[in-house]
Amino acid sequence: MPITILQHSLAPPPKLRDADSDSDSEGGADLEGDIAMGRPAKRARTQDSSIMTPGEIITDDPQWMRGHGTYVIPGASSNTILSSVAGTLAKTNKLLSVRPLRARYMPEIGDLVVGRIVEVQAKRWRVDVGGTLLAQLPLSAINLPGGIQRRRTETDELQIRTFFSEGELLVAEVQQLYNDGAAVLHTRSLKYGKLRNGVFMSVTGTGGGGGVVRARRQAFTLDISGTDEVSGSEKIDVLLGVNGYIWISKHIEGEGAAAETSGPGITRIEESVGLNVYSSQNDIIPVDTMREIARVRGVITALVENGLRVDEEMVIKGYAEAVEMAKEEQDSADTLWLGGERGKRLANALVGR
Amino acid sequence: MPLDTSTYNLALLRVDGRRWNELRQQKGQLGVQPSADGSAYLEMGNTKIQCIITGPNERDTKSTSSASTAPTSGGLGATVAVSIMIAPFATVDRKRRGRNDKRLQEMQTTIASGLAATVQGQSYGPRSTIHISLNVLSQDGSLLACLINAASLALVDAGVPMTDYLVACTAGSTSSYAAADEEADPLLDLNTQEEQELPFLTLATLGATDKVVAMLTRLEGMMATAADGCKGVRDFLDGVVRDKGELMVQEGAIGRGEVVSSMDLD
Repeated sequence: MPITILQHSLAPPPKLRDADSDSDSEGGADLEGDIAMGRPAKRARTQDSSIMTPGEIITDDPQWMRGHGTYVIPGASSNTILSSVAGTLAKTNKLLSVRPLRARYMPEIGDLVVGRIVEVQAKRWRVDVGGTLLAQLPLSAINLPGGIQRRRTETDELQIRTFFSEGELLVAEVQQLYNDGAAVLHTRSLKYGKLRNGVFMSVTGTGGGGGVVRARRQAFTLDISGTDEVSGSEKIDVLLGVNGYIWISKHIEGEGAAAETSGPGITRIEESVGLNVYSSQNDIIPVDTMREIARVRGVITALVENGLRVDEEMVIKGYAEAVEMAKEEQDSADTLWLGGERGKRLANALVGR
Repeated sequence: MPLDTSTYNLALLRVDGRRWNELRQQKGQLGVQPSADGSAYLEMGNTKIQCIITGPNERDTKSTSSASTAPTSGGLGATVAVSIMIAPFATVDRKRRGRNDKRLQEMQTTIASGLAATVQGQSYGPRSTIHISLNVLSQDGSLLACLINAASLALVDAGVPMTDYLVACTAGSTSSYAAADEEADPLLDLNTQEEQELPFLTLATLGATDKVVAMLTRLEGMMATAADGCKGVRDFLDGVVRDKGELMVQEGAIGRGEVVSSMDLD
C-alpha cells in the first residue's frame, strides 16, 4: 500500500454524554450499594440508534432465536439475547443476528474468492484468502492443462509446482467448509484459475462498510475505449473477490472470469482449456491499458478510503466519474492518483453529496 | 515535585484541577489504520495509545516471540497474542527499553488473559491467532488501564465477537496511617504524578457488570471508585463505536439495522 499523507485534521470535540456527572457531590466514596453483584445491570437501549454494541441487550423475549453476532449468558435461566459485536441488527423470521460493522472474511460455499498460494503440500495447496484460517485447494480440484479428464497420478503430484507455486495468485470458488470455518476451494471451471496480466489489491473488511459486498456479479468487464487516447476497444477485467482481494487485469477475449457466458459448455471443456492456462508469463499490455488499470485501482482505493461499498455499480460509476475528472484536469499523469482531497471529491460525486 | 495532599484536603481539588471522582478527558477513534483488520486510538488525559489488530489468522506465532499469548474458550478458540511497544519519546526522559522488560511482560500477560476471557473465539478455531499490538505514544499514568481500553476498542473495530467491552480504570488512596483518616477520598484515574505518590490499583471490569469478589476495608472504597470509573470509560467507548456506526449508516456503507420490538411479531 503506498504511503498517503493525509491532511492534518483536529480530533472531533468530545461529546457530553452523561448529564449525571457527580462532580458536584460532597466527596467521599459511596461505599454502599455501589457494586451490584450477579446479573449485568440492564442498560436502557437507546431508541434513536440502530447500532448494537457488544454487551447490549437485544431482547429478552423468549420467542426469538439467536444467530451470528449474538450470545446468551450461559447458565442463566433467562432468555436474554445480547450482542457480541458492534453492528446493525438483522432479522430473518424469528432469527436475530448482528451484522458487524467490519469483520474478517468468513467463507461461505459458492463464494468467488481471489487467493494467494502460501504453501505447497504433497496433494494440495494452502491458499491465503484473507480468512481466519488458510483455505486449501486439493490437486483433484483443478483443471489439467488441455482439459484432460483423468485421475491425478503420482506424476501430477511431483509436478504440483507447474500448476501453482508459492506466491501465485488465483481465482477460485469455495466448494466446501469444515467445522472450524476453513474453506476448500476448486477451480474446475473456465472462469477460475491462475491470474496474470493485472494488478492485485486488497481491501479489508466484508459484510460491512469499506469492503466488497456479496453481489450478483463479482466479475465484470469495463470498457475503457471511452477515454479518447485509447485506440481500439480495449477492455479491463475487474474481479471483486468476496474476501476483499481484488484483481484488475487486461481483458483477453474468451478468457477470464467475466467470460462466463461466452465460453463453451462443460462438455467441450477439453477444447477450451488451453495448454497455457498455468502460464505465469504476462502478455504485452499497452501502456494505455496499464494506465486505465491503475485508474480503476485508484477508484477502488478511493471508495474504500471514504467508507463506500465496493461493488460492480460503484466501480463502474466511479470509473466513469474518474475519467470525467481527468478530462477536466487536462488529463495529466497525476490525475491517476485518487487519494486525499481528490478521492473525497470522487466519493462525494458518487453518493451525491 | 511532591503531591501536596494538604492542598487536596483544603480545596478538594487534585494537582490537575479534578475532583476525586473525575475521569480525565478522553478521546477515541476507530479505524485509524485502514490496512489493519482493526485499529483504535485512545487518549485518557495525556496517556495516548494506538492499537493495531491483525487477524484472526493462521500464521506462525514464532515471529512474534516477544508477545504474550492466551487461549480463548478453554483452548478451543483462537489465541490472543499481545505485544506492547513503548515509544522512546513517550516519557519525559527519553530512554530505550530492553526487549525483556519484566514490567511490560507482566502487563502483556495481564491484557492477554483478560481479553481471552471476554473474546468469544470458538468460532475461529484453535489454529488462528488474534495479534494485538499496542503502541504507547505518550505515557502519563494509568498505563495498564488505558492499554486495556484501547485494545477493547480495537477488537470492536476488528469485528471480533466479545461478551462485553473489557474496561479498566485506576484508583488511588489519599488516606495515610499517620493521619488516621480512614474516610479520606479515593482518587479516580491517576496521572503519573499521583501514581508516584499514592498507593493505587488498576481494576478491569466486564462492561456493565461489576464482577468483583474480594475486598479489604480501605481497598473497598478504591475499588468502588475504580469500578465507577470503568462504567464511565465504557460509556465513552460505547459512544465512540456508536458514532462510527451511525456515520457508516449515514454514508450508506452498511444497511440500516432493524429494531426488535414485541409489537412487530406476526
